[in-house]
Amino acid sequence: MHARFHILIFVLCSLLLWSCRGDEVIYPTIGTHVTDDVREGGLYVLCEGNMGSNKARMDYINLEKGDYYSNWYGAMNPKQLKELGDVGNDIQQYGGRLYAVINCSHKVEVMDLQARHIGKIDLPNCRYVAFKGDKLYVSAYVGSAADPELLGAVYEVDTASLMVTREVKVGHQPDELCVVGNKLYVVNSGGYLTNQYDSTVSVIDLSSFTEIEKINVGLNPTRIRVDEQKRLWVCCQGNYKDIQPQVVIIGGPRIETPCANISIQGATAYVMDNKNKQLRAFSTIDFTEQTLPIDISAYENPYGLLATNEALYVTDAKNYVSSGVLHCYSYDGKEHWNAKTGDIPGHLCRVTGAYDIHGDTTHQDTTRSAYISRVYEYLPAMGQFVNVLPKYEEGDDAETMCRKCEQALVNNAGGTVTLGGWGGYITFGFDHAIENKEGRDIQILGNAFLMSENEAYGSSEPGIVLVSRDENQNGLPDDTWYELKGSLYSEQQYISRTYTREGDTLQNPFHQQPYYPQWITSDQYTLYGAKLPPQTEIINGQYVQRILEYGYVDNKPNKDIEGTSFDISWAVDTNGQPVSLPSIDFIRVYTAADEILPTTGELSTEITGAIDLHINI
Amino acid sequence: MAHMALAVEQAELDSLYRDFHIEEVEVTARALAKDIIVPQTLKGAELERLNALSVADALRYFSGIQIKDYGGVGGIKTINVRSMGSQHTAVYYNGVQIGNAQNGQVDLGRYSLDNMEEIQLYKGQKSDIFQSAREFGAAGNVYLTTRKPYIKTGERAHVRAKMRFGSFGLANPNVGVDVKLAEGLSINLDAEYVYANGKYPFRYRRVLPSGETAYDTTAVRQNGDINAVRTEMGLHYYYRTTGFWRMHVYNYYSERGVPGAIVNNVWRNGERLWDRNTFVQGIWQEEWFDRWSTRVLFKYANDYTHYKNYDERLLPSDNEYLQQEIYLSLANKVQIFNWWDVSLAYDYQYNTLKRDEWVSQLTDQCFYRHTHWLSAATALNIKEYLRAQASVLMTHITNDKSQITNKPKVTPGVFLSFRPYPAIDLSLNAFYKQSYRYPTFNDLYYTDLGNASLRPELARQHSVELAYRKASNKYDLSFSASYYYNRVTDKIIAYPKGQQFRWTMLNLGTVKINGVDAKADMSFYLPLRFVLRTRLNYTYNTAIDVTNQNDTYYGHQIPYIPWHSGSFVFGLDYSSKRGDHYGLSYSFIYVGERYSQQENIIYNYVQPWYTHDLTLFGEWKIQRYGLKANIEINNLLGQDYEVIQNYPMPKQNVRCTLAFTY
Repeated sequence: MHARFHILIFVLCSLLLWSCRGDEVIYPTIGTHVTDDVREGGLYVLCEGNMGSNKARMDYINLEKGDYYSNWYGAMNPKQLKELGDVGNDIQQYGGRLYAVINCSHKVEVMDLQARHIGKIDLPNCRYVAFKGDKLYVSAYVGSAADPELLGAVYEVDTASLMVTREVKVGHQPDELCVVGNKLYVVNSGGYLTNQYDSTVSVIDLSSFTEIEKINVGLNPTRIRVDEQKRLWVCCQGNYKDIQPQVVIIGGPRIETPCANISIQGATAYVMDNKNKQLRAFSTIDFTEQTLPIDISAYENPYGLLATNEALYVTDAKNYVSSGVLHCYSYDGKEHWNAKTGDIPGHLCRVTGAYDIHGDTTHQDTTRSAYISRVYEYLPAMGQFVNVLPKYEEGDDAETMCRKCEQALVNNAGGTVTLGGWGGYITFGFDHAIENKEGRDIQILGNAFLMSENEAYGSSEPGIVLVSRDENQNGLPDDTWYELKGSLYSEQQYISRTYTREGDTLQNPFHQQPYYPQWITSDQYTLYGAKLPPQTEIINGQYVQRILEYGYVDNKPNKDIEGTSFDISWAVDTNGQPVSLPSIDFIRVYTAADEILPTTGELSTEITGAIDLHINI
Repeated sequence: MAHMALAVEQAELDSLYRDFHIEEVEVTARALAKDIIVPQTLKGAELERLNALSVADALRYFSGIQIKDYGGVGGIKTINVRSMGSQHTAVYYNGVQIGNAQNGQVDLGRYSLDNMEEIQLYKGQKSDIFQSAREFGAAGNVYLTTRKPYIKTGERAHVRAKMRFGSFGLANPNVGVDVKLAEGLSINLDAEYVYANGKYPFRYRRVLPSGETAYDTTAVRQNGDINAVRTEMGLHYYYRTTGFWRMHVYNYYSERGVPGAIVNNVWRNGERLWDRNTFVQGIWQEEWFDRWSTRVLFKYANDYTHYKNYDERLLPSDNEYLQQEIYLSLANKVQIFNWWDVSLAYDYQYNTLKRDEWVSQLTDQCFYRHTHWLSAATALNIKEYLRAQASVLMTHITNDKSQITNKPKVTPGVFLSFRPYPAIDLSLNAFYKQSYRYPTFNDLYYTDLGNASLRPELARQHSVELAYRKASNKYDLSFSASYYYNRVTDKIIAYPKGQQFRWTMLNLGTVKINGVDAKADMSFYLPLRFVLRTRLNYTYNTAIDVTNQNDTYYGHQIPYIPWHSGSFVFGLDYSSKRGDHYGLSYSFIYVGERYSQQENIIYNYVQPWYTHDLTLFGEWKIQRYGLKANIEINNLLGQDYEVIQNYPMPKQNVRCTLAFTY
């Protein structure tokens, strides 16, 4: 009996030993050399993953080396909670950023070109993205308020603040969208309404952001692309029964063909006939079909498609629940290489950067970063975005708030930090000293914009810049500060002001969180500095500010590089005497405007980043 | 042989008039009625001792099964027998199958243990030829038997009241009454209410290859609340030693949140589910001329489901489903010689489903199905050495909207038990069986996904088993080990249609399953009225996709089937001289590594999980009053695990039960 029992215990113990569960390690990134046939730049592959699996995955191929990396996003962002998300639906490059729409995670992931996380835009059931100016436009199956007719929406989002600025209701289940001129076109698929698909394209005027027209195209339109002649090509899927799929060219002919996907390159539109498993090419000039010797008949489920000037990239999604394959063809029909992807490789995005797994690009100055590397102090004055940008959470203190500011600003992450009302400040630095060279030395980014009618006015929330050298070499900003003299220096008035927790009474129904910085333990704090005379006027019923000439942060739009840049030679001491500084280590910006407007609340300087102009990006 | 089934019923009858100390009688009865394929059984006190709230929790202690558990009190829990898919498993409630013509799955998390007397799992089939035709049809069978009234001579009624509290805001009162109405006629009523807010903390922690923490976050599960009421009534009439009838009425109502998958940026879901399940069933059994037994079963079930999604980020869904089922069965068994029995049974079932789906604007859609089963079976006993059974089942299903003509399907089964030394309880058992899993209403007609020309999915099982048992007044030991080989062909799977994300159901898939189940149940009756009970189960199995050599997952283990799984239960009971009981039970459940998708690649890898559970109980008797207290601690070490990916399971949690009996 006892012997038997010992055997039992032995069996149990060995079971325990052989079975143990380890730490859960993040998903790895696996690099595979797939081709010696090299080209410039790289290509991102967004794999959708199945709903609920949280397996949206961004792969990347460095085309200069022929190396394919699975789960590239994971390598760049190992600390992202629950990875990239659930069901990737679109990926686009715009400016220096990548935008990936993650449908069932209800967000647009914003990344730099190496796919390092910058921020996210929370949008419900978002589908596709398009761009114009400093705005991105996102189609979504639901609007911000529930709609009884189940209409979808298009959101306008500011690229700097990543905040929604406007929203317009469109048709049922809007999918792809594109911008032509000052108009936005979005297809309304009606894909959820099995027996009542939609068949329209909504036309939205970007100035008024209203739907001005609905164009009837064909049943169940899912894709819309613009060709060189600014003509729109719409893929209509039909009802999968008696009504056949077709490509409808607005203002042109209709082409009866299955069209799961489309990609336009030069004067040719490449259409994926997923039913007969073939690729078709049509001239965008006379719409005639051209021969295309690419054979995809062996695919299980042709899915993604991207035509570039050098190659045609086509994906096979297989059975949708296992790895897909990315194929690269030249236009003569030769397959150059293929690579195993994640689940449902649906969306491709060609970029000019070629990166290796360490994230270094061959073209980059890797020793010094051109962007903010460190935030030392953050003390906003009371304001409507305080405790929100960045977000205060229970348990935060001054130190953790600085880290949150870093998350928003370091490496040009593209986040926004508010300084609140008058006097609120932030102190930051770079990973090197900024030299005082000929001309402007440093650009500081904000979220100012100009009125389109009158560019002398706009949204300007000016802040003053102070600079300092690390004289005592202790690495901390506890040295003498010098002001960079702005255009309105002579009208500045130097004051101090004490903010109290008691004085935190809600002033704005739109922002109901406390305005007093919640991480400050004392019940009051005092700020010092200069205040500017009021600049606000009412024009066309809008409160706008006179744009100042130079020398203030968050006063001119970021694309005006000179208008948002500063010269260290402008430095003056407290007596107003110019100081000659060969370089600086610390920068402080504080809100110098001191105005509270009836509708939009107080003017508060916002910072969205800073750039050392002497480093080539 | 003819008296076997009767002997069981006789034992039941006897037990109606007996006290708790009838274990020896049961042993004899079991020996007489011994199945060719020995079922795994959990019953009575052993069931109460386990860390289990529902039938699904209890089934974790069986070998040869795989459980899917979406977590929490209200989460769906289904089982797979020998990796063949949950739709190959039939679940019987007091002898009549619980149907779900809509999706073919039975959520075992909904069946409470409070009114349960016995749970049995049969691989293959219950190897008793006297059964309804339909029982020959499934690849794996779970029999749930509710408690029967135990009223001793001279007693009139029994009352039970139970209150259970626990983590996740669990409050679970239960009352039951057994009343003897006349000699042989008794009624029992049982009612239960379950409330849980379902809020439990869960943690996601990942590390970098260097060991540095990548992220570590703890959140609270939301929208996992449940509110459920179950009421049951059983009427039992034993009018002779050979004849009886029983009626059973069951009603279950629940409202619950469906907590959903936790994915990036989504920590809460808005799906709600309302269910009402009602059924009435009856059984009548009689024996004629000492040689001919007849059993009649009937059932009417009416099941309503309402699903609504309140998540504003999704399109609102609001669907209602009403299923009805009428079932009749007539089984006959004749003893030709005392070594040869034959049986014939015929069952008929009528199913309807009415569907209203608001978003897709499909309203008032109705589907109908008629099913006929006809079975013939025979059993032979050659002395004490060999027992053999063979059965053949013909199934004919007609669906009103099906596009193909369904021919009747014929499936055979052969069961053998060889006992080389009659003096020793050692047997070599084997079976071969075919069974079909028929397409459900969802497979056939689900909006846009259904495929009305589906064929049924075929499972072929081959199994051999070696079983040994030795019992004395000092111990009771039983061991068994089996090897099996199953092949599932024409597997019904969802497959993309080749148009924008549209799926359809196809008969596409072949799975080859090889496995070993082993179990050891050992009880030792120690001095000083201590009893030590141990139960060890282990399963190793490979379930390989062999559909198409060109698939990247050809030869890979199918999703969510672990190679290794097992459980170990250790219990120590003590009875005092005056009849009080105290007990401690420890259990360990292990589910090994597996993959969440068809391809066995690192991106689909799911870590093993194992939990340690502990139960302490005491039972006191004062004259005719009984009091019982029970504390369960589950997941003692607070492991953060998932059975299904993105559905986090609870960390350490506690349940306390106080029960009063009269």
